[in-house]
Parts: sequence; structure tokens; C-alpha cells
Amino acid sequence: MTAPVESSLWRRLFEPKDLQSLAPGTKVLTYAALLGWTFVVLFPLYWLLITSFKLPVQVNDGPDYLPFVDFAPSGHAWRYVFVELGNDTLRPYLNSVVIAFASTLLAVLFGAFAAYALVRIQYRVKLGLILGFLLILAAVVVATAAFGLPWQLSLAVGVALFLLLVVTLGPRLRRAVGNEDIQFWIISNRILPPVVAVLPIYIMFQQMRLLDTHAALILTYMAVNLPIAVWILRDFFAGIPIDLEESAQIDGASKLRILFTIVLPLAKPGLAATFLLVLILAWNEYLLALFLSTADAQTMPLLVAAQNATRGPQWWYMSVLIIIMIAPVVAMTVLLQRYIARGLLIGAVKG
Amino acid sequence: MIRKALVAGGLALGISSLAVVAPAAAGDYDGVTVNVMTFTGPQIAEPLQRRAPDFEKLTGAKVNVITVPFSDLYTKLLTDWATGTNSVDAAVLAPQWMVDYVGPGYLEDLTDKVAADSALAVDDIAPFFREFSQQYNGRTYLITLDGDFQMVYYRRDLFEEAGLSAPATWDDYVAAAKALHGKDMDGDGQADYGSCIAKKRNAQSYWMITSIAASFLQSQGTSQGAFFDTGDMKPLVNNEGFSAALDVYLETTKYAPPDEINLDVGDTRSLFTTGRCALTLDWGDIGTLAIDPENSKVVDKVGAVMLPGSKKVLDRESGKLVACDAGTCPHAIDGVNRAPFAAFGGWSGGINKAADPKVKAAAYDFFSFMSQPAQSNVDVTIGITGFNPYRLSQFENKENWIKAGMSEAAAADYLGAIQASLNSPNMVLDLRIPKNQAYQQVVLDTALARLLAGEIDKQKAMAAIEEGWVELNEDNGVEDQLKFYKATLGQ
Amino acid sequence: MTATLQEVPSSRLSEWLDRQIAQLLILPTVLILLGLSIFPMLISAYLALSKFSLAPGGYELRYVGFRNFRKLLFGSQQYHFLGTFGALSWFEWLLLLAAAAAVVFGFLRYLRRGRVGVVGILGRLIAASVALGLLLLLLITLNAPGFPGSLVVTLFYVLAGVAVQFALGLGLALLCAQQIRGRNFFRVVFFVPLMVTPVGIAYAFRMLADMGKGPFAPIWQLFGLAEFAWSADPWSARLVVLIGDTWQWTPFLFLILLAAIENQPREQVEAARIDGANAWQVFRDITWPAIAPVAATVVLIRLIEAFKIIDLPNILTNGGPGIATESMTLHAFIAWRTQDLGGSAAVGYMLLFVAVISCVSFFNFVVRPARRHEA
Repeated sequence: MTAPVESSLWRRLFEPKDLQSLAPGTKVLTYAALLGWTFVVLFPLYWLLITSFKLPVQVNDGPDYLPFVDFAPSGHAWRYVFVELGNDTLRPYLNSVVIAFASTLLAVLFGAFAAYALVRIQYRVKLGLILGFLLILAAVVVATAAFGLPWQLSLAVGVALFLLLVVTLGPRLRRAVGNEDIQFWIISNRILPPVVAVLPIYIMFQQMRLLDTHAALILTYMAVNLPIAVWILRDFFAGIPIDLEESAQIDGASKLRILFTIVLPLAKPGLAATFLLVLILAWNEYLLALFLSTADAQTMPLLVAAQNATRGPQWWYMSVLIIIMIAPVVAMTVLLQRYIARGLLIGAVKG
Repeated sequence: MIRKALVAGGLALGISSLAVVAPAAAGDYDGVTVNVMTFTGPQIAEPLQRRAPDFEKLTGAKVNVITVPFSDLYTKLLTDWATGTNSVDAAVLAPQWMVDYVGPGYLEDLTDKVAADSALAVDDIAPFFREFSQQYNGRTYLITLDGDFQMVYYRRDLFEEAGLSAPATWDDYVAAAKALHGKDMDGDGQADYGSCIAKKRNAQSYWMITSIAASFLQSQGTSQGAFFDTGDMKPLVNNEGFSAALDVYLETTKYAPPDEINLDVGDTRSLFTTGRCALTLDWGDIGTLAIDPENSKVVDKVGAVMLPGSKKVLDRESGKLVACDAGTCPHAIDGVNRAPFAAFGGWSGGINKAADPKVKAAAYDFFSFMSQPAQSNVDVTIGITGFNPYRLSQFENKENWIKAGMSEAAAADYLGAIQASLNSPNMVLDLRIPKNQAYQQVVLDTALARLLAGEIDKQKAMAAIEEGWVELNEDNGVEDQLKFYKATLGQ
Repeated sequence: MTATLQEVPSSRLSEWLDRQIAQLLILPTVLILLGLSIFPMLISAYLALSKFSLAPGGYELRYVGFRNFRKLLFGSQQYHFLGTFGALSWFEWLLLLAAAAAVVFGFLRYLRRGRVGVVGILGRLIAASVALGLLLLLLITLNAPGFPGSLVVTLFYVLAGVAVQFALGLGLALLCAQQIRGRNFFRVVFFVPLMVTPVGIAYAFRMLADMGKGPFAPIWQLFGLAEFAWSADPWSARLVVLIGDTWQWTPFLFLILLAAIENQPREQVEAARIDGANAWQVFRDITWPAIAPVAATVVLIRLIEAFKIIDLPNILTNGGPGIATESMTLHAFIAWRTQDLGGSAAVGYMLLFVAVISCVSFFNFVVRPARRHEA
């Protein structure tokens, strides 16, 4: 950059004419990088798409890149999935739709309540009560698991003991935890690996005779995704100015009314973004679905995983299934795109 | 005795093949629904689903086939039955799992039903399946629907060209793999591989090593067992015999695809049938897959042979290899001890003891219907099913095979190899003691994977397997495990 | 649960509702989490301390104390969980000493600052000892003849994965935040990987990484790598897992960081530009402080999910070669599949322990300061 010619070239390329626009060099590099990543993102999907139109022999023979040029596309895999499997594809698909949407709606609703509360209300939960609660819960579990007490009985005794504790000792306890601790407790529920929790959950639903029903999966997904919903929504609510609520309160509106008529509508973009993220997590979950469903409530990820049996992975069927799984979520993203952009915007302001 | 059984089977076939009438009459099971669980994919589910409507017409029972991914079938069944959920009435499962289900009493004892069921033609089922695979401690709990044991497949065309004959010993196998490795076998101008064996972790590698080790470890007949000493439950994994098997296992890796360590049996199958391997070790499936003109490039180029053997066998007293003679290898063929391994044991139907009696009866009749020669003799010749032959009549009668697309010579070769294996009095039974999954899928499989990856050497691998198995024996009670082990061997 | 809220005496239902609003709003969440998260967790704790076996008519749990944990830490599964230990060179001892010194220094500074509480001291002690222990483990198992176990492999996925994904996500977000056309297009496209089920991603990457039949096979052949098998080498296998993970999770970081960047104070940026600040200065002095709180939160969420990685190694390599790609969740899953429910729960609890310590430390030492700074 010593020579003046180079220097002026450099300047022409990389220094913007004004503050509102990009220098041509920067522009080229930026687009190159972004398009490069676009390729990285889309190529695997393109490969899935063309694989779904290949015959097994074509897949096993080595790479073919362009349909009609490198290989003659065949609809055999699509036919298999939609005609031969027919209902066996449709049923898990519908199950996935019902379970994912219902669990997401509930998670976002309850998550919104909790997140709003955590932003606007100062909690002080007595530490002693939490400890007492945990001890009683452990005792209930031990009594049921090790000593064979009926769970209804031990649960009832446990609840009674806890209430007793609240009434007698509650007011005297000093040390308490605040909102940040509650928040962290909520998100820490996500840390537990599902493998560890799945057997107790299975037995619980078995006792309630809910195995292989939509309800079991909806409840479970709602529970595992609730912490994420609370966390993201908390940030959104924190970004909503409090003045509106205060003036409404002065007008005599109840808290619930404020929540439903002022806060939630204002947080719509945030709700949409959270909804989409939670929906994706529920839509794609595998392990819990494997155990809580047998035949009636099986979901799509199980069907995808099942395409790998003793004959090696059936790439062509798998590709079809993955594509039809992504399609609706992509459509929703495009529809909600506007909200997500704005939603994350608001949420991020007050992170 | 086995010879006699064969003859009896042949005779019985004449009668039984006529008796296709199901014992239940039409409408007997109206309103009964049987939930049968197996794994997803056409292999087992397809014939069940295809024949369920016929069965419903015959008896009125509706059969509902539920499928879960292959790798999760065992746990899924176990959780359903062990927790008392009992949403599954019957299952098509691996006989290897039987002991886990019989011990706690989840499986219905079918002995009397089988004895009274003439349509099933039980004498037509090859003796190994009838007497070992279906049974536990002398009682029958399963109905075989599929014959599974491992064989070696080789490219007959390449072998002939190179002047090689089918491998009789593992040394032959390695020598042939070495000789053919690097040749172009599918005509695309690129070098292909001498041997393809599924060595992926958490897949089938532990069956493959047992197939190799079997002939070094067991020479005195099926009831001797190849996993533990039947005297004191000492694992047979840290000795010269197992060491020799590991040598073969490691040696074949040199003549294999570079990513063999990440290939499961599905991958090796497609490599072999697309003409990229000269030798492979597999179940009966390759026979029918290789004749599928749509996906196979080796139609009529495949030879099958009983698992190769060894001229030296383990002396269990000293832990050393000794040469074969009349005393050490009573069943040797041309001085070579052969020990075909019934890996996995063949998909079989079992019934949940806790199901409703009427449902249990319907489930039994369905499995019997599936296994009857009229149905199964056709099903075993169809490539898309995973059913491999297990009935004597399926070997005698080559017509169905030729109809399915095999040449006469190929059929004779394939069925001959199966028959030779099944007739072997020295067939090796798969490990069927409680927690066998922990022994094989965890301890053995992990040690093999670490050995292949170079994390540990051979001595350490053998020590690790022995240590792990001894620990499992102690965890579950050495005496109990020994009792179970002997029960599976019919001792 | 008690909450401080001004109390307005009233008899009507709606006002009762209003009075109890603090409890009512948070109650569903607490109940759901207690029932479907805390309760299973306690049962699992019992499971981790017992041995599961099948018994007539059902199953049986026998209490065995800490045997499952002893097995992982000191017994026959040590190689699997912690790894095989190698020797340390003097340089690595030095490194370790330096790390210890840094920790002690930080601790002293904390003590000198006053405002010392029991919880604070205890928390810092635990965090410091866990961090030093993990560093020691990392060094000792990555040194020949040592070999990492599932704990170290998981840490590798978490640290390397989150770092790479954060860097990529931030880089792409900065590029995208410039005055360019098609920002919405990029936003939607970059979001797509997050929507694919992890099982599907794992299979797609198995296809792509196939060196013989995959789309990049000709490139490998060009470089003479056709005979190289990524799955046979521990580090290349881990790398492939990491690439798949990065493909899926970069969008998550990208999207949220982009939103944060778009919200940085625009006037300040423009003022700085007019004053002749270059891009790096703008980023350092304006953008980074503005997005730090969001970045800290989003990294925390990603951290939590990263500890649970299972589908990619499970499908790409089944944890091989050897145990080179096996994560802790996969370790637990494999134990679980073979009925070793106690062992599986023990691995799960170890994961919970490591993850909680890491996330709490991250929350306390990074997220909280970042947020406070902003406030």
C-alpha cells in the first residue's frame, strides 16, 4: 500500500462514498461471504431433494448431481411414501402436527404468564420452604419406590405435610431467593438429559393410562420446552415500556386485563418468534416420542429414523420424509418472517 | 440322531404340506385384535402385513402390526412388558432376547400348542431351530419365522478367474481377500476390495467376531458352547483361540474398504451386491438380494459357503491351540473344524403371557399360519422380506427359488451352504444368558471398536473383554448365569 | 410461594384473582416443572443409586449405593467416562500451575473486595475446583498414550462447537446488518437448518460425508484422499460431528445476534463514523457493548443444549472409531439400551453436575455482569 496507485485503488474499493452506502469492494466481499454460506446451508437440502428422486442403484453408484442430466429422476420413493405407506405416513404426520402445535401453544401461553410475572412482580420465596419441599418430595418418592406405599397415599401425606410446613414455619423463615434465581431454576430444568428422565415419565403416564396418546406427548413437550419459552419471552416483556401498564392500572384495570389487552398484543412479535422456535423443537423431538408412543401417537422423527434397518439406510425414503417434514415449518417461517424480525428486535433491546 | 430327524422331517413334509387349514375356523376370533410388534421396514413387517388380511378372512382376527425402529425394539418391548403396560400382545423378536423375557415370565409357554398343531409341521423345521432356537430349557416359547445364521459369500466369477476355491479355513479367507484386493470387480475401472465385514460400533461387529472365533473355540458339538466354560463360567475370550480369531479380524481390515470401521451390515450388503467386494460375511439375506435384478450387479456371480473353519482348536484346559484330531475335532470336515454360527438366531414369534387368552390363541394361530409351509416357503424366496429358509422342505424344493429368479446352480449352491450349516452338529448357538446385551453389545463390542481404532492392543482387548464378562457374571451371580447358560445349551 | 404485592381488600372474584395474580401467573409453570422435570429427576436419582433387573411379573430395583458412580470414576468404566490417562509434560504442568495461580488470584481479589458471603465463597470454590479438574482431565487424556472418554469428548463438542458457532453467527450477523439488499432472504434461508430434525441432519451428513458415493467424492479423489476414511480417525470423526452440529446451530446464534445488532444505537454509530472511526473501532466501542447482554444469554441457552448432543454422533459413527466420538448423552443412551438403567442414570447425573456447574458459572460470571453493565 505504499504506491499511490495502489492506495487509491484500495480507497476506491474499500472506502464508502458516504455513510449510507457500502464501498464496492466491501460489497463484493460481503455478498460473496453471504452467498457462500447460503450455499453451505442449501446444498445439503438440495442433495436431500435430488436423492429423493433417485433409484437405489443411482445412489449406490456414486454422485450424480443434476436431474435429467446426470440421472433420470424417478418418483419411486415418493410413491412408496405416499401410496404404499399411505396411512402409515399420514398418521404420524397428523400426530406430529397435533402434538407439536398443541404443546407449543400451551408452552407459550404458560411461558408468557410466568415470564410476565417474573418481569413485573418481585418474588421472594423462602429458602427453608424449598428445602422442606424437596425433603418431603424425596420422602414421598422413597416411600413409594422403596417401601411400596400406594402413590396416591404418599402424595396426599406429602401435600399435607408441606401445607403444614408453610403455615407453621413459613412466616418465620428469613432467607429467600429472588426472581433471578427462579429464572435460573426454570432454565436449569432444560439441562437434564432426556435419557435420564424418560423412564420415570414413562411410568408416570403408564399409571395414568396415558401412554401412546397425544396427551402424554403434549404434556411432556410442553414441560421440556416451557423453560425456553419463559426465558425468551422474559426478554421481550422486559422491553415493553411500563408506562402503558401503569396508566391502565390507574384507570382501574385488573392485572389480568392488563396482561391480556395491553401486554400480550404488544408482545405479539415476540410471541410469534418464541412460538416458532418452540414449535421447531417439539416438531423434531425423537427420544421422548420413542418411548411415550407405541402405535397410535407415533410422530415423524420416528418414521425417519426407522428408514435405517437391517438393509442399510433407505436414503431415498428418508429424503422424502425429511423434505415433507421441513416443508411446513419453512412455510411458517416465511409467513412469520416479518414478526420474527421485529420480534427479536424488541426482545433484544433489553436482553 | 439329527440324520434321523432329517428323514423324519422329509417324510412329515409330504403330509404337512397338504395340511394348510388353520386350526381355527372362520369367525372364531371375530372382534379379536392382536397387536404384533416388530421393527420398521419391509423385512419382517411386510410379510406380516401382507398375510394379515388373509388370516382375518380365515379366522376373523384382526392383526395389527406395530413397528418401531430396529435398534429400539428390544427396549421398547421390554418396557412395555416389564412395567405391566402390556399394550403389545405378541412380537416378532430375536430368540437371543428370549431368556430376558422367559425368566421373568413375560412369554407364553407354547410347548403344548406346538405339539398339538399338525398344520405347523414342526418336524419340517430344521432341527437346530426346533430344538435350540425355539426352545429354552426344553420348553418351546417361540415359533421360528426366519432362519438366521452366518455364512461366507464370495464372488464365484472372480474366484474362478483367479483359480481360487471357496475358503475352507479362515487362512484361506484371508489369502483370497489378499489375492483379490485392489482388483476392479464391478467394471468401473476402479480398485475394489478383498473383504467387507461389518465392523461398525454398536452394530453387528460382535456377531462377526464370533463367527470367526467359533471354529477356534467350539469343536465338540452345539452343547459345548463357545462363550464360557460350562464348568466354571470362565469366559473363553482370553486365550490362543480368541487371539487367533482377532488376528483374522484385524488382518481382513487390510483388504477392506478404508471406512470399514464405520460400515454396518446394511452397508456391506450394498457394497457386495453392487459388486465392490470379493468376500463378505453375512446372514442369509445376500442370497435373495443378489438375485434382485434392479439393485444387484452380481446376479449369478455369487457363491455361498458354510463359515470357514480352523485346523487348530482351543484346548480349554491349557488355553492353547491344539491340532485337530479325532479326539479334539470329532466333527471335522477334511481335517478342518467348522462351526457355523447361528448369530441372532432368526426372527421368531413370541406371545405375551399377560395378554387375554383369546388374543393369545389368535396370536398363536397367526404365527403358526405364517410359519406353515404354504406361506413361509413362498415368503423365504422373496428378496424384500428378511425371511431366510429354515424348513427342510425349503431346501428340498428348489422350484420356488427358481421362480424367484435364481438359476438352478445358484439355488443349489446357496441352499447347499445353508443346509450344510444347519446339518452341522457343531453349530454354535448365540449367547442367550440374561443381560447378553451387556456382554456382547457393550463389553465385547466396545473392546473390538477400541482395538480397531488402535486405542488398545490385542492383549489389552482380550483382557478387557474377560474382565468385563467376569464382572457381569459376578454382578448377576456366577452360579445363576452358569445355570442359564447350560439351560440354553440343553445341558 | 409468597410474594410481596400491595393488597387491596375486596370481596369480588375478579379482585380476588387480581390479588392472587402473582401466584396464579407463575403457578402453572412451577407445577408443570415440578411434575415433569423435578419429579422424574428425583426418581432418576434413586435409579442412579440402584441396580435394575427384570423380575417375575415386572422389574426390581436394588439399592447399591454409589457403586454406579464409583464404576465411572474409578472402576471398569473409567476409560469410557473419564478416559485413559497419559503422562503430562513439564510444559503442561506449568500451564496447569498458571491456571491454578490465576484462579487463586481471582479468588483473593474477590475476598479483598469485601461483600463476601458463604454462598459466594462456596460457589466460587466449587466452580474453580471443577474448572481446574476438567482442565487437568483434558490435558492428561489428550496426551498419548492417554485417550479421552465421553466427558472430555462432550466438553470438546461444547467448547469448540459453541465457540465456532458463535464466531460464525456473529460474523454472518455483522455482514447481514450492513446496507445490503435481500436481508430478509438471507434471514429466512439461514434459519432453515434449525428446522431439520437432528436425526435427519445426521443422516444427511452421513450421505454428504461419504467419500465414495457422496457429492464431494470427486474432490476427494482429486486430492488423492479417496482412500482416506474420516470415520477411522478420531479427530476427523469428531470434526465431522462438529460440522454437522455447526450447520444446525449457527442459525440460532445468527438470528438473535442479528436482531441485537440491528438494535444498536444508530445515532452513536453514525456519529462515530463521522468522527472517522473505522469499522473495528465502531464494533469494539459501540456494537459489542450493545449486544453483549444478548450474546451472553444466547450463548447460555446454546451451552445448555450443546451438552446434550446425541443424534449426530449416534447416527454418523455410533460413537466410533473406538469411543472417540461418544458424547455423554450417547454414553447414557447406550447403557440404557442394554438395561443398565442405573449406570445410565449415573452418567446422566454426572452430565447434569458438569453442565449445571458450567452453566451456573457462566450465568454468574458472564451473563449477570453483562446485564448489570447494561443496566
